[in-house]
Amino acid sequence: MTDDQVDKVLEKASGATPEVDPALLKRIADSINMSLRPVRPLPPPWALTGGLALICAVVAVAAAARAGFYGVEKLSLWERALIFSTLGILVWVTGKELVGQLTPGSRQNFSGTSLLATISASLLGVFALVFHDYRTDHFISAGIACLLTGVLLAVPAAFLSWLLLRRGFAVNSVAAGLVGGALAGLCGVTMLELHCSNFQALHVLVWHIAVVPVSAAAGAFAASTLRRP
Amino acid sequence: MEPKRNLDTLMSRYQAGDSAAVTALVEAVGPRLHRFFMAQSASRSDADDLLQETWLRIHRVRHTYRPGEPVLPWLYAIARRVRIDQYRRASRTTARERPLEEASELSAALPRQETHADDLETLLAPLSDGQREIIRMLKVAGMSLEEVAGATSCSVGSVKQKVHRAYRKLRDTMNAMGPQKGSSRGLP
Repeated sequence: MTDDQVDKVLEKASGATPEVDPALLKRIADSINMSLRPVRPLPPPWALTGGLALICAVVAVAAAARAGFYGVEKLSLWERALIFSTLGILVWVTGKELVGQLTPGSRQNFSGTSLLATISASLLGVFALVFHDYRTDHFISAGIACLLTGVLLAVPAAFLSWLLLRRGFAVNSVAAGLVGGALAGLCGVTMLELHCSNFQALHVLVWHIAVVPVSAAAGAFAASTLRRP
Repeated sequence: MEPKRNLDTLMSRYQAGDSAAVTALVEAVGPRLHRFFMAQSASRSDADDLLQETWLRIHRVRHTYRPGEPVLPWLYAIARRVRIDQYRRASRTTARERPLEEASELSAALPRQETHADDLETLLAPLSDGQREIIRMLKVAGMSLEEVAGATSCSVGSVKQKVHRAYRKLRDTMNAMGPQKGSSRGLP
């Protein structure tokens, strides 16, 4: 049997499905018409993605301005260009995915977990290229301080992102929470790169990057808890 | 089948508050969505409830449709969400109210006309849930691969792979049954 023959069999069988009651359709249309009023569609995806990128940049820079730009001052020009251009691209891609998550029927380029893996792998590659001090002084205490700072900064970034996208509708709220958390986590990493002057490779590779998966997990957990039935 | 562009226009007019467009859209898309639900729900009344719930949800989030984009992936993505929510609610209720064996006995005792054993579903029975859903969208709703990818939040490659596997399974099953039997009555 060929694919064409399978097509014909499926076509014939699909015509045999019982029809829906016209009275039901009329009832649905009438109930919608009772509360019908014009609505404003969502802004275009590029505008929302740009808004999310702006939120991340403003929150990260404002927090670093308050805490001090010690990290970025120690970096050379090419290191700054490499780190912040990578973070910029990742923020844009993650923001675009988040906008897609909140628009039903949008095509997704990444699943939540593959996006998280891509972000982590990209940051690992860039940080491994830039940082070569392999000492591990105060590894745990300094690391936890950076992780907490990054995750705490992700909270206002996530809140502002939610404000921008609150009119959206997530068909998969857990995936949307995970992507939103990852975006907020990237804001935290950006702030750490601006502020943190601890250039020990393991510190940056472990604790700075950990901000993204921890924030993503928190976002997914929050979304699953708050999910409406 | 209603031309897709016409459906997109109706949806844009619905957003603008045109009541005639609402009626036309419900009449054009309602039967497809109902068929989509009939395929997986236990009864016609469940499918009716799901259809009403879906239109309520569509009405609430109609601003998330972007004029000019295909409307079918948008509608089916919402319909899938409603079906998943309903399934989770039903699972919770069933788990609390009665043991699984008893539920199976009850569903087996339902009158024949209340079940959804139509020809298409009988044909698609050997497929997995994901493959059945995609074949229904492609063959019953007339959506393109890109549109199915949008509605199911998958990549086009993943949709193609599922279709390929589904067709291979259908071909094998139909060949095993013999072409005459497969095309005239559907598969057992």
